[in-house]
Order: sequence, then C-alpha cells, then structure tokens
Amino acid sequence: MASGIRDRVVIAGMGCTEFGERWDTGADALMVEAFEEALRDAGIERGQIEAAWLGVALDDVNVGNSALPLATALRLKNIPVTRVENMCATGTEALRAAVYAVAAGACDIALALGVEKLKDTGYGGLPLRTKGLANDLWMPYGSMPGAFSQLASAYTAKHGVDAGDLKRAIGHVSWKSHQNGALNPKAHLRKPVSMETILNAPMIAEPLGLFDCCGVSDGAACAIVTTPDIARGLGRNDLVSIKAIQLSASNGWESQYGEWDGAYVRNTREAAKRAYREAGVTDPRTEMGMTEVHDCFSITELVTMEDLGLSDDGRAVFDVLDGTFDREGALPCQTDGGLKCFGHPVGASGLRMAYEVYNQLLGRAGERQRPSIDLGLTHNLGGAPANSIAAVSIFGRLD
Amino acid sequence: MPKRYLKSVGAYLPHLRLDRKAAAAALGWSGLGGPKAGRRSVAGWDEDALTMAVEAARGAVAPNSPESVVFASTSAPFRERLQGGILCEALGLSGDVSAMDVAGSRRCAVSALRRALLDARGDTLIAAGEKRHTVPGSSLQLAWGDGAAAALVSDDGFAELIGEATLNADLVDIYVSDERPAPYQSEERFIRDEAIEMVLAPAIRQACGKAGIEPADIAFAAVHEPVAGTWKLLAAAVGLKAPNLCEEVAAAAGDLGSAHALFGLALASERAKAGDIVLVAGFGSGADVLLFRMTAAPPTNDSVLDTLARGVSTANYTRFLSLSGALSLDWGPRSEVDQKTAASVLARHGRDMHGFVGGRDSRGNVQFPKTAVPVSPDATGPEQLEDVPLSDVPARIVSIATDRLNFTPDPPFYFGLVQFDNGARVAMELRDVEGSAPRVGDPLRMRFRIKSIDRKRGFRTYFWKAAPAERPLLETV
Repeated sequence: MASGIRDRVVIAGMGCTEFGERWDTGADALMVEAFEEALRDAGIERGQIEAAWLGVALDDVNVGNSALPLATALRLKNIPVTRVENMCATGTEALRAAVYAVAAGACDIALALGVEKLKDTGYGGLPLRTKGLANDLWMPYGSMPGAFSQLASAYTAKHGVDAGDLKRAIGHVSWKSHQNGALNPKAHLRKPVSMETILNAPMIAEPLGLFDCCGVSDGAACAIVTTPDIARGLGRNDLVSIKAIQLSASNGWESQYGEWDGAYVRNTREAAKRAYREAGVTDPRTEMGMTEVHDCFSITELVTMEDLGLSDDGRAVFDVLDGTFDREGALPCQTDGGLKCFGHPVGASGLRMAYEVYNQLLGRAGERQRPSIDLGLTHNLGGAPANSIAAVSIFGRLD
Repeated sequence: MPKRYLKSVGAYLPHLRLDRKAAAAALGWSGLGGPKAGRRSVAGWDEDALTMAVEAARGAVAPNSPESVVFASTSAPFRERLQGGILCEALGLSGDVSAMDVAGSRRCAVSALRRALLDARGDTLIAAGEKRHTVPGSSLQLAWGDGAAAALVSDDGFAELIGEATLNADLVDIYVSDERPAPYQSEERFIRDEAIEMVLAPAIRQACGKAGIEPADIAFAAVHEPVAGTWKLLAAAVGLKAPNLCEEVAAAAGDLGSAHALFGLALASERAKAGDIVLVAGFGSGADVLLFRMTAAPPTNDSVLDTLARGVSTANYTRFLSLSGALSLDWGPRSEVDQKTAASVLARHGRDMHGFVGGRDSRGNVQFPKTAVPVSPDATGPEQLEDVPLSDVPARIVSIATDRLNFTPDPPFYFGLVQFDNGARVAMELRDVEGSAPRVGDPLRMRFRIKSIDRKRGFRTYFWKAAPAERPLLETV
C-alpha cells in the first residue's frame, strides 16, 4: 500500500512576484523574477535544478503552449521540463509533479513554477470556449461568477439560511481579505474596503456583488523542492515539509447524476479527507494553524470552510460572522489577501498559496505574521462546483 | 374522395410582447410608427421561425406521429438546410418521415394545409413559424409579430373539410427580395380594395359554393387580412357574419405571416362547438380558402387563449430593436466569441441534440448526453444506452445563476442545474424567466431554441433550454 509523501520532500526555496496589472513586464520576466527569488532563498545555482514543471492554465491567452516558455525564459540546461494544466488548480499541479519526482527519487532538486500574463489581452475571467467539441452543442457557457453563485442558491435552499445573513457573511469574507491584502506589499489590491461599500456594490451574479468576486492578475510563483537531507546539506535547518498533496476531480456525478444537492464541493471534501489522512491530521480545527483557500468568490470560501471540516455544515455563515477566519481569529484564512486581494494569475495561484503558508511557517510574513503556526493548508480549486478539480495540500515544519 | 380532417392544432408565441403605444411614443417625434393599440410579440434572441414552429408543432403532434411534415415560413433561417428535417428530429420523429420546407408567400402554410387535405394520404403535419425582418419606422414593424402555429391533417379528427378554393393573383401588396430584404408595402387602400375584389371575395364564394353553404352559415373565421380593416369590408361584401379571430391575433401579437391563419384556426378550434363551420383563408399572391365543420372538440395540449394571454410586456423600444436585429449594439469584448460548429460533430450528435435524447443505462439511470461509460456511480464499463427523449419530461431547478457578466444578447444570462423527474440531470440555460423569480425546486418545461449563432459564418445550432413551467398572465392593455 502506498505510504504517501509526508515529510519525504521539503521546500528549499520559494519565490513570488508582485501580482497585479503588470504592464511593466511580460510572462518571461515574471518567471525570472519569481525564480531568482527562489534561487536566492534556496541558496543553489540554476544548474542544480534537475527537472521542472510549468503551470499555465490559459495558454490560448498569454504564455503559450508547452514547457518551452519556462525552459527558454530561465535558460534551463536541457533538463526535462513539462507543462501542466488543470484549470485554476494548475499551480498546485505543478508543485505536485515536482514533489512526486523528488519523492520518487527520480531527481534530487525540482522546480515548480506557475505563471499567467492575462492583462495584455484584456482577458477578464470569462471562460474560453472550446472549439468543435460535442459540449458546444448543448452546454451553457456561463461566467464563473454565475457558476459559483449557484452554490449560494443551493446552499440557501438546503440550509434555510436567511438571504441577508448570507449576504453579510460573504461580504465579511471579502472585507477580511481586503484587510489582509492591505498589509501585503505584493498584493494586487492593497486597499481596505468598508462593509457598506461591499454590500452596496453592483451585482454580478446574485448574491455575488463586485466585491464578492476576485479578478484576474499577472504574476508568477515558484517552489524549489528537494529531499530533507539535501536541504540540510544546503545549510537549511528550519525546514518546511510537504505533509500532503491530494487531488480530486469530478467524473460527472455532480452535473449528470441526480444526487448532488449543489450546496457543497464534493472534490474539496474528497481531497481534504485524503490529505488529512496522508498528513496524519485527525482534528483539522485544532491542528491547522492557517488556511489559504480558493476564494475565487466569497461564497466559495464560505462553503470551503465546511468542505474542509473547519465549520459544521450550515454553520459557516455564523463562524465567518463571528470572525473565526479573520487574521486574528482562531483559524485565520487568507492572511495574504487570498485570490481576492493578492490576486489570481491563474496558473500561479496554487503556488502563491503555498508561498504564504511557507512564509508564515518560517516567520517571514511581516505585518501579517501569525504566532505559533505549525500546520498550514492550501486549497486550490479548478473549474466550477458542478465540475471541479480540487487540490488540498498541507505544509508544516519537518519533525 | 375520402373525408379528411384536422386532427389537432397548436400555437406558440414568444414570451415577450412590445407595447405598441410605447413604441409609437418612441417614434412620435418622427411622425412614423404604425398601429398604436395592443402588443406585438417579440421573439427571443434565440428564437427563429424554426424554433417557434417546433413549439407550435409540439402542441399539435403528441401523441400522434405524422407520416409527412411541412415547415412553412417566409423567414426561414436557412435556404440550404432542410428545416423540416430538423423539425422532425426535434419532435422525435423517425428519419423516414417525409419532410419538406415551403415558402414563396405568406399563404404557403394554408396552401400546404390544403394540399395535405386534398392530395396527401396518412397524417401530415404543417408547422409554420415566422420571425420577419422589418425596419424601424415602417408600419409593418409594429403591425407584424413573431410566432408560430401548426395543424395535423388525418383521416379522422375534430374538423372535417367541407369546401375549399385556391386562387393565384400577382397582387403585389408586399414583397421581399434579395435586393430588398426588408418588406416593401404598396398603398394600403389599394391593397385592401383589390384583395377583396380580386382575391378573397371570389375565393370565399367559390369555397362556400363547393361546400353548399352560405357565407352567413360560417360561425368563426380565420382570415389573414393583408391590412387592418379588410375583414369588415370583406364581410359586408360577401355576407359573412362570423368574427375573424385573426383580428384578435393581430391585436394581441401582430400579423404572424405564414402562421397567421393557422393561429386563427387554432383559436377558432378552441372556441367552436360541434356543428360549427370554420373558415380559414391564407392570403399572399392570391389565396387558399378552407371550410371545416367541427365534429368534436380538438385535443388540447396548451390552450391557445392562454398562449395569447400569457407572457411579459415591455415598453422598451430599443430592446425590441436589438432583439429583432433592427439595431446593432456594440456588446464589447465579452461578445467576441467564435462559435464555429464542427460539421462532423453535428453530424454525430445532431439528432440527440435536436431531439434532446438522453440514454438509460442497464441500472435504469437516465443521463444526458449519452456516454460510453454511464455516469451511474456503480457503472463498471462501457455499455449501450437506451434512447430516452427528455423534452417532455417534467423537471425542476437544482441550482440557478442570474449571470450579469456573461455575454448574452438579452441580459442577464440564466443558467443552472436541472433535475428531470426521470432521474436525468443536465446543466442548462434558462429562458423566459422575466416575470417570475425562479428558485431552487421550481418546475420547468423544455423549449427548443437556438443554441449558438456563428455570425461570422452565418450558421446556427439548436438545442433545448429550460423555462418556468408557467408564464405570467399579461395585464390587459
């Protein structure tokens, strides 16, 4: 039976660019910016990287197909480089591939880098259409706010939540992320926003207003991973270990089989269950010090708290309003501002989440630093609730 | 000659109605306009002559299965692509049903009906739909409407053909040509007077003579007036005493072109009692006249009166112009989407898409679309699924979005998960939501609609969309 990857791979170094409307630079320079930070952090030369994975979600829009954009931008020495894509979960997929390669003993040091350069094309986050697929003949092409607002409609119906309470709770989710983003010098949005502004913002897809939706950004993030022994050999003592990375993908059950009630994300629950098992976590509410979750929309973060077992079903509205997930709360979420404010360069986001957990575990999070965090979780969600790919990763200090 | 009957009738109007008074007010500065009373029906962006004809035919056909099908329209979306064939697929008819399209003038549907009554054997469905292009300022724009009607002819039924006549006359009251895609209309008094004198009066007299009845014996009429006011003078000239129900249709929805007389016939069928005589006249480059004697009440699917009375009214003239294609708005980058359809994919899946055909697996679960390996969680491998049409299966909302970001020509864009009573679950676009506030659990019905329009290549595909099971009642104007 597979033993999993817990503590077999550690992070040697990480890098992350400033996210936002990066009119000043292209995708190649973004990759270099993140990579150079990671190299300095790891204390290695680029020639020591033995294999690399590039995460780009929207190749038609910006960076380009294949692994060549990464190999060329970083001038990697003809090592194996692979491009991965799994919608918004792409960043974690790149990390998973690099971690698995090291855990398997296929290489000693591997790179995972995610990048997206969206702003040059005017891409606003609407889904790209497929060309010539049978799905084109029947599937409705709604926007992502539309797809995730359905979560709110089903959640409200299932739990009998008052619409006003839900609106305030999802508003609080975004208010909290703006508070945190304001303390993050690399964040796309660094301005606190009042609850009144959030609640009165133009409607995008009921009940999601403008501030309930994250935008998209330019940016890159990366991780250099290796074995604990090699990391110690590089002079690193305070090591951040990968305790678990688990992925779960829809098979059509939610959207084609008549059981799902639409009020939760099944893949998040599946991936979380496996990740907790792999990491040896038995009580996430007390063991987890922080989370970085896929807050593409405020309702997603709220429901994710239940899907990760951090709130009881139907109670996340009240836990959110009680401040449980605020930066000073019992279980802080999105200390870096999340997708909402740090930004969402799609292929980089999973690695950006890991970057914040890594920095919090090492005490490098500046004004956002939380005391005594031993375990942190990232949740990176691709697709929409009815057709999703969920990646849940757990990071902690090496025991 | 064997007796021939109407076996069933159907009628369809789009959800939206334009308040003519509001439109006239918008045009008031110009002195242009048209009729100021009543409403005109407005097809959704995803409706055309074919989709509406399918909806009317659904009211007429079930549970009968015709041996031949005629699609009639002067505004058919395709010149080379058999729309009668798509109509058959949408109705779930087999591939060996005889299908054809007719056009040429707006009386083509009544011409086809007459032929089916006189010449054809077996059951023949005539389905007429119309979404005609008009230009702002033209009185036709407000006088006309979008809609559809259908009739099924058989060797038995509720109304027996007792007389008929046909008359060709190149009386050019309106014309549409390649060089003039918007209708050009002649002087209205000339049309009215000559239509009566040259066409309608002699044809009606001839049909009455063949039937051995007097015009005054007719209880209800469905006569397509070329211009308003024709009926009153025609009735006086010929001695007709019956109400012309096409006038009601024109007031509430507009002149429906090839569907107009059939819509009036559907209305008359609903009102007439056994023994009543019903007159039908299609007009355009002459006339076809039919006389029926009611023998029973028609089978009803949807009430025709309800069709007229339900929907939502709008006073928004620019919205109407945009929906009707008379105003081209710049929808910005969000609308810059390539909708090219792969012909090979359409050939593989078109029948299932047009017929909304899902599949039942060996465990009894129904799904859409069909897949090699069923979606049932306990499926173990590929298997052949049994065809299950979903278009008439009751359904409910599982989750719903009111999407104001996604491009649609008539925002907002509604979509969600739809649960069918037979177990199938499908992600679908919701339409005709205006006037209701759909919630999780609300009942839905399926509507045949345009799925995508490839404006770059002039092509469109069709699929089904979900709509609230019942439309709201229109307020009296």
